Amino acid sequence: MKNVIKIINGMVKDGLIDDYAVGGGIAAMFYIEPFLTYDIDIFVLVKQGKKGKVFLLTPLYDYLKSKGYSWKGEHIVVENIPVQFIPADELEAEAVRNAKKILFKGIATKIVKQEYLIAILLRAGRKKDMEKIDKMFEEGKVNREKIAEILSRYGLSDKIKKLGLL
Amino acid sequence: MKNKEKKTVFSKGLDMETLRKMLFRDKERFHKSQAKLPFEEKITLLVELQKIASEIRPSENRIVWKV
Repeated sequence: MKNVIKIINGMVKDGLIDDYAVGGGIAAMFYIEPFLTYDIDIFVLVKQGKKGKVFLLTPLYDYLKSKGYSWKGEHIVVENIPVQFIPADELEAEAVRNAKKILFKGIATKIVKQEYLIAILLRAGRKKDMEKIDKMFEEGKVNREKIAEILSRYGLSDKIKKLGLL
Repeated sequence: MKNKEKKTVFSKGLDMETLRKMLFRDKERFHKSQAKLPFEEKITLLVELQKIASEIRPSENRIVWKV
């Protein structure tokens, strides 16, 4: 995983992506107990194409391909780890900009903060997402005011109320 | 000294309800302690989980990480 982070940091340095943060299950695992997962989701801020809101991931994939990494389904396998690059939408972009800076084995990286992660998972709304949210409320230290504020801005307040968590 | 001995679920003389409460409380404590582990340690545990899962049910689509 350390090498994956190095590669992604290199992509920022080389100007392929503006910024990134680890999201999905691996980000959830930062806050809750370990659970089985096989991939890493990376939310990326990429430069928009000239024709408006066209996100260009091709240079990113070409870059990785040139380094010898290959596709496996919807993932690109980097250093033996399936990685999915997700162009960030408005909520995810805010999450990336406000992500927690950490060191993983001495390498700097960013992890989506718990409050944003809850909003992102809540919006996705799958059963496994709900389980992670439950666990974050049970095991993590969540900032309820911050969550309420984010959810309100993104029209997700009703969803969390239905779960009885806020 | 004897009074300071921690009561465990293996102690004698516990009624079933108390025993169950202790078991579930310990289970909850364990999960919370796992959540507090350093991130790097959690990733190591994840790889162990991946290894166990691949031994139980091997799949070409599931890659065990090398960290």
